[in-house]
Amino acid sequence: MNIKRDIPTATLSGFALSAVLVLTLITILLQYLPLSQQRVGDALLVLNEKEGVANVVTTVVVYFRGFDTLGEIAVLFIASLGVGLMLQPNTECRLKAESNFMLQTASTLLFPLILLFGIYVMVYGHLSPGGGFQGGVIIASGVLLLLISHKNFEVPHTVIVAFETVAGVSYVLIGFMGLLLLDTFLGNFIPHDIANMGMLLSGGVIPLIYIIVGIKVGSEMSGIVQNLMQRSDDV
Amino acid sequence: MFEFLNQPEVIKTIVTLGAMSLFFVGLFGLLTRKHIVKVFISIAIMESAIFLLFIGLSFNREKVAPIIDATQTQVATMNDPIPQAMILTAIVIGMAVLALGVSFAIEYYKLTGKTEIDTMNEMRF
Repeated sequence: MNIKRDIPTATLSGFALSAVLVLTLITILLQYLPLSQQRVGDALLVLNEKEGVANVVTTVVVYFRGFDTLGEIAVLFIASLGVGLMLQPNTECRLKAESNFMLQTASTLLFPLILLFGIYVMVYGHLSPGGGFQGGVIIASGVLLLLISHKNFEVPHTVIVAFETVAGVSYVLIGFMGLLLLDTFLGNFIPHDIANMGMLLSGGVIPLIYIIVGIKVGSEMSGIVQNLMQRSDDV
Repeated sequence: MFEFLNQPEVIKTIVTLGAMSLFFVGLFGLLTRKHIVKVFISIAIMESAIFLLFIGLSFNREKVAPIIDATQTQVATMNDPIPQAMILTAIVIGMAVLALGVSFAIEYYKLTGKTEIDTMNEMRF
């Protein structure tokens, strides 16, 4: 069997061109490995000692790049809006069968603990690994557990909308208060003593914003999983 | 026996090659699979390759996490916080895009009953 007859020349040349491109890319990437150069975050690490919180990643996300995080929240909101518009929640088409008794009891028992853990991750986001995004996703996973275990469980739509609206509006309000009081959007207008770094009440506006982000992410993710679970199963 | 693996050059070369392999696995799936959900899964695989590349290249074994506490107060011994913050942003955006795409796919399937991207020709004149 002749291989040239089975595989077209265009395919072979395409493979050869891809191989050349891949090898070039690998060579470039390996030649410019960042081994001992000046790092991007060195200046921010130094700046964090003067006006930051203990978790430097939190300071970067919420304070140095706070406006970017506001845009990210807006993207998440638009995605949640799109999912809600696409998948109209159909209350008649829930899960058909009642789930196991053990699953129901265990999820009822576990849900408060998951909620508490999510709130802990959210509130201590400026001191330890974690933060608003992670805590919000943990809360949404608890809601998902209840959705798959209880047939008639549903987070009321008004509750999700209320949390989401309050969180989004208060983020922008905090930003504008910084603009009014300190001439910078999202400025740290709450008095924050840098000697308190590592305490729960420290960092001024930074933990407040991350808790707001957590509430917004939690409500939006809960809405997304609820819309995806309650799709109609016909067709 | 495997001490040479601890050198930063070796670690970063392995990270680069592994991330590129994962990226091309995702690219192969994106180009060859016809099912729309598999296409979204391939995009997610490519995204995770980029996350691994960023985090792996900025990671240094001898340095600690960028969290100041009672024992770690020197910023010179900390890892770079910028790539971690960027990847935190990128993960959230990737999740949002994936959820929106899957919901589009579900609604399209409910309307037309099609899942193969070859047969999606409603917009063709």
